[in-house]
Amino acid sequence: MNTLNSSSAPAAGEYAGDEVAAIVLDPGYSTIRAGFAGEDVPKSVCPSFYGQIDSDSGSQYLFGENAIHTPSSNLQIKNYWGSDGIVEDWDTAAKVWEYAITSRLTGARAGDPAKNGLNDGPKENGNGDAMEVEMETIENQEKPLEESPLLMTEPGWNPTKAREKAIEIAMEEWGTPAFYLQKTGVLAAFASGKASGIIIDVGASHTSVTPVLDGMVLKKGVQKSPLAGNFVSNQIRLGFKQSQPEIPLTPHYLVKSKTPVDAGTPAQAIYKTFNIPPTDSFRHYQEERVLTEYKESVVEIWPGPGRLSNGTNDEIAKSMPGRPFEMPDGWNQVFGVDRFRAAEGLFDASAAITDDANPRPKDEHTLPRLVQAAVQQVDADQRPLLLQNIVVTGGSTLLYKLGDRLNYEINALYPSTRNKLIAPGPVVERKYAAWIGGSILASLGSFHQLWISKKEYEEHGANIVEKRCR
Amino acid sequence: MASGRDVRDMLGLPMGGDGQKSAVQKRAKAAAPVRRIQGVAREVAALYGERPPPVAVYEEKKAYRAKRQNQGPAKKWVQQPFVNQARSDGLVLKHWRRKPTTAPPVQDGEDTPMEDGESAEPYIENSADFLKYSIQVDLPTFTDEEYDAYLRSDDWSREETDYLFEVVRDYSYRWAVIWDRYDYQPANRSHLTQETVNGDASQALAALPFAPPKQRTVEDLKARFYHISAKLMKLRIPEMQMDAEQYTLYETLSKFNPELEGNRKLLAAALMNRSMDEVKEEEFLLAELQRINMAANRLDAEREELRARLEHPSANQQVSAGLASFTSSQALQALFSQLFAQDRSKKRASGGGTGPSRISLNTNDLIQTPSSANAQLSAAARRQSMATNQSAQTPIRTLSPQQEYRYNVSTHDRLTSGVTFGSDKLLKMRQAKSNVQTQKIAAALAELGVPDVVPLPTSKVADVFEQLIGRVGKLLDVRKVREKEEGESRVLAQMKERRGSSTQGGESGATSVEPQAKHEIPDSAEQTPGLDGDEDNDEDGDGDGDGDGDGDAEGEEDDEDAEGEEDSRVPSETVSRAASTAHKRSASVLSQGSVQSSKRARK
Repeated sequence: MNTLNSSSAPAAGEYAGDEVAAIVLDPGYSTIRAGFAGEDVPKSVCPSFYGQIDSDSGSQYLFGENAIHTPSSNLQIKNYWGSDGIVEDWDTAAKVWEYAITSRLTGARAGDPAKNGLNDGPKENGNGDAMEVEMETIENQEKPLEESPLLMTEPGWNPTKAREKAIEIAMEEWGTPAFYLQKTGVLAAFASGKASGIIIDVGASHTSVTPVLDGMVLKKGVQKSPLAGNFVSNQIRLGFKQSQPEIPLTPHYLVKSKTPVDAGTPAQAIYKTFNIPPTDSFRHYQEERVLTEYKESVVEIWPGPGRLSNGTNDEIAKSMPGRPFEMPDGWNQVFGVDRFRAAEGLFDASAAITDDANPRPKDEHTLPRLVQAAVQQVDADQRPLLLQNIVVTGGSTLLYKLGDRLNYEINALYPSTRNKLIAPGPVVERKYAAWIGGSILASLGSFHQLWISKKEYEEHGANIVEKRCR
Repeated sequence: MASGRDVRDMLGLPMGGDGQKSAVQKRAKAAAPVRRIQGVAREVAALYGERPPPVAVYEEKKAYRAKRQNQGPAKKWVQQPFVNQARSDGLVLKHWRRKPTTAPPVQDGEDTPMEDGESAEPYIENSADFLKYSIQVDLPTFTDEEYDAYLRSDDWSREETDYLFEVVRDYSYRWAVIWDRYDYQPANRSHLTQETVNGDASQALAALPFAPPKQRTVEDLKARFYHISAKLMKLRIPEMQMDAEQYTLYETLSKFNPELEGNRKLLAAALMNRSMDEVKEEEFLLAELQRINMAANRLDAEREELRARLEHPSANQQVSAGLASFTSSQALQALFSQLFAQDRSKKRASGGGTGPSRISLNTNDLIQTPSSANAQLSAAARRQSMATNQSAQTPIRTLSPQQEYRYNVSTHDRLTSGVTFGSDKLLKMRQAKSNVQTQKIAAALAELGVPDVVPLPTSKVADVFEQLIGRVGKLLDVRKVREKEEGESRVLAQMKERRGSSTQGGESGATSVEPQAKHEIPDSAEQTPGLDGDEDNDEDGDGDGDGDGDGDAEGEEDDEDAEGEEDSRVPSETVSRAASTAHKRSASVLSQGSVQSSKRARK
């Protein structure tokens, strides 16, 4: 029996694909990724944030990119994720996920052209048929996933309760014929073509480090910390607040028109006025978008060697050319060493910007310490193997030079092993690694025996997910 | 006479009479009609000249991509429901497959409503494509009786053992994962927790009447599992009946030592957690070691090469080919340079004294400036290449001992330069260190009937003769010893006699005898060794009877005879030949002296 290895392409008969139109759902704090297995990018990416408008008649929910950025009175922007990286608001979560799936992927099914009503001539009185079709579509809408197996991802620390809830939603609300739950760490490793490795996932709300061995998460080694993308945004906010003079942060929706100004001078813009100003949560969310832009274009991580605070590194950083950034209202500035400080907290807790409301982060939450803790929990024999496959994924790892710094830090921690950082270049692969891994997994012919079928679910109950999805 | 051949020779061009031929060929080629390149205008083609163009010109014919073959109407695909054979629950999934073309297409239109009506019961494919990937691991199994009889352990309950086996099956022997997921909870506890799964977990914990289960290490788990596996294996197959593979498995299972394994892992972890400095130091040391090894190797190789060059003059290949090969100036040049080099090396070896020159070479090796080292290296490389060339030129043909004998092929450890004659060699063998000895050898040979000049001094004859001479030398030595012993025994006998007489006669008798003996020494020295030879002749007359037949047999017989005679005669002769003792003793004294002197000379 010949074994498959990653270096040789499978033979024509050995390509183990067998696509069954499975849907892969990869919910994250920032975005929800959904798409058909076997494709290389998720077709549907929509924000996890949703709008809620409370009125006397009940709450109205707004989902999707287009709806939640429109300023309107008493529109609240919320997220269904809890602070510990576990879904908190399951009811809304199910709605948002369903939106993510149905808005782009499934939707009203085009039936047989002979009887889907579109080709019905005026002469034929297809009243009864039309009724039938309507009934069918209603049924389809009620159970959006009747046709497609669903592979969902979960964080490595997902508790049993949350997992059972997930299968309940999939089976009972969506009526999926088969379901499977896999951890993001494993899938991200698969996306990089690895069955074993350490997965460093710096997301929006959480950073996690997951040791994976032969496609299985080593649960004791899973580490998570809140120092991730949102933390960096917060650091930038604090930096803006603490700088002299304070840097104003005006989101796009407030600006009607602007005129160019010199660097550092106050903005000259005409602002919009609202009768009832949007809620704070809406403003905060819009500010986050500006900060995301700032993170993408200005923030840089000190690439090492050493920390930013070490020796003359600070001076070197100061002497490096700055980067300009213009706020939506026209205020602009060239950012020098500040752009290094914003994300230094990810690696060096003592370098984080703090104030009363934002205490100093814990040392053990920094990235190097997470990796160290994760490796420590793994059997000594497996450590070198895992350190050879360090997969870097998550949107926040796109911070400029994060890979360099991570490489330096890990090599400083483990100088005697061969440490290899696998950070895929394309942005999509970095951001959606877990989804891509899920897409690969769910399109494999050999995977289809692992699905939890509806029948099994009905026989064993929700607890089956603990037994099957290990 | 000074033809192209000589010019070629001077210029160092290869020999061969094909010069004119090639010219003829060229002309013929030029005369051949030039193939016209199609698709190029005649004027342009003329610009190419006589040589082919540097870039290959391909004729370009009008060629478009072949038209796609129309193979009838588009193939139909259907979402084919299938069940996976690896599943037991009959989950039906759908994948796209070519629509099977068994049904005639004409009926299709009519049948569609019918099929739709029956679509609840369509054809379901039974897919076994991926069944081969569904692998179950083999686990040893045991019954309750076996457990009670053999597998009990103080540390492990039956339930926990079962749980261990279950986990091992679940995670297919991936011990790191097994250890990670191993979370045994005694039955009561799991029961409790299941009850209170929706309630407060802390309450469930508080309700526990016993301590939480102990933490087990990977080694504990492995030890227990391997122990059970080994015992079961032994039960199923007795040790005697195991084949090699099974037995090695059994041995690894039964010899598992958790402490050792734990220590090994500790060491491995320590190795991994070394600091940067330690790692760098190790790297540095390793690099240093490698450097030293390389230097030592190089030095050894150079010395070896030098020794080889000093001891073996390089054989001149062309001499063997005869003088005919020295017709070209190149070959003569080579011969000259070789002779010159040989001469120089000889001078150096003999002139300055070998010791100091070698030492100086060694010091050169040790203390090198980079440039000199490079020069030496390159020189060594050149020499080596020369050596390999030579060896490549003379393929060594191995001969069987019989063939070697037949063709009279002989190998020599060391060749002396110059020409020697076989008869010289034989003559040399006849000559011993001392004149007396030489004469003795000559006498012995004469007795054997070996002529002074051996008619055909071939190497084989020389070998046999050498052996003979060796034997003769031995014989002479033995004789000497015998004579000495005899003389001493005679002296002792006389002393005894005298002691017997002194009891009557007194001391004067003794003193009177001794000077006599001393006086006789010069006399015996005057005596010719020919007398000795005569005596010898008498002694081993029977041995000589064989003549000069087989050297080996003769020698052996000689030896035996000599010994036998010694043993048998010593007692008798001591009595009978008391008179001639004086001569013999003196002779032995002399020969002893000569042996000693020769030894001194050797030293």
